Amino acid sequence: MDCGTCESATPLEVHRPDEVDVELTLTEKATTMLEDAFGDDRSHALLVGVLSGGCSGYMYDLQIVESTDTPCQELNINGFRVLVPSASSHLLNGIEIDYVDRLMGGGFKINNPNASSSCGCGESFS
Amino acid sequence: MGLVRHEASILLLQGKGLLAFLDGLSTNHVDGPCTTVFTTRAAKIIDVCDIVPVGEHVAIVGHAMNKNVLAAHLAERILGQSITITDISDLNDVFIDVGDSEIPPDATVHDSFFGKMFIVPIKHNWQATWAMEQWNEHRITNLIPYHGHEITDSHHPLACGLEPLVHPQKGCYVGQEVLTRMRSRGKQGHQLVVRPNPVEKPTTQGKERSLCIVRTQ
Repeated sequence: MDCGTCESATPLEVHRPDEVDVELTLTEKATTMLEDAFGDDRSHALLVGVLSGGCSGYMYDLQIVESTDTPCQELNINGFRVLVPSASSHLLNGIEIDYVDRLMGGGFKINNPNASSSCGCGESFS
Repeated sequence: MGLVRHEASILLLQGKGLLAFLDGLSTNHVDGPCTTVFTTRAAKIIDVCDIVPVGEHVAIVGHAMNKNVLAAHLAERILGQSITITDISDLNDVFIDVGDSEIPPDATVHDSFFGKMFIVPIKHNWQATWAMEQWNEHRITNLIPYHGHEITDSHHPLACGLEPLVHPQKGCYVGQEVLTRMRSRGKQGHQLVVRPNPVEKPTTQGKERSLCIVRTQ
């Protein structure tokens, strides 16, 4: 195969949506759960990202991180540092992070006004 | 037996986590060379592609008619990942071998769902030994669906003979909910069959028998 990597095959132009200034809310329950998780230590941040895949095309990705190499917008929500990758900002603007307390399928839940549909487990959206 | 030209598109992906990226977007378990199906959320086919690792990169060999839609589907989901896509379709010819054809010079050989696949630099000007009619007769005999006939954007993979490419146990991918529900309920709606002529609405017309997609429920 001629893979073109040593010649001048031009990469396809990938459309990257414009970055938007993200607004994000945490419900009272989600804030309480984050307080439990973080304790008094506010050196870490909540990274709210999006990965490709899942039944509907995109999956939420929540992590507690000290720092990240990914270019992010940094927000301060209810006293927490929240990082949102710039490349996913158009998908995450306006979301509400909630916490659902139940035995099965419980945990952090994201209500996303940008999602036209989501899969049954709530982890994936499009 | 012979060699048929596959009107292919070849997209070369470069970056990190390429196989995992493709695994999350297609029906088969992608952890090395394989054939897989990219589907929409409604499980309709975007393209049936061969995944061919090339050193640190990965080539996606699909059908030329689906190239733009597939490229857009992939590009939309790159987000912040460091993945680039290069179109190298014009640099190579792609053939499907049915039998034991001579391996062309500099060819990358790949075991595809459709047969043995040869990806050959275009400079060799390699030629097919089979016409499409012969390939179609072979497909009818072996119940092999193909692009533009059975494989179209109006069908889902289970309806057109691509069931072996839908992994039953892998995790989420685009279209998975729909396909899993069809399987668990035993309702896939349509299925690919071979019937003696005359056949009403054949998807591939043969001399004596034809392929067609029929309703199952």
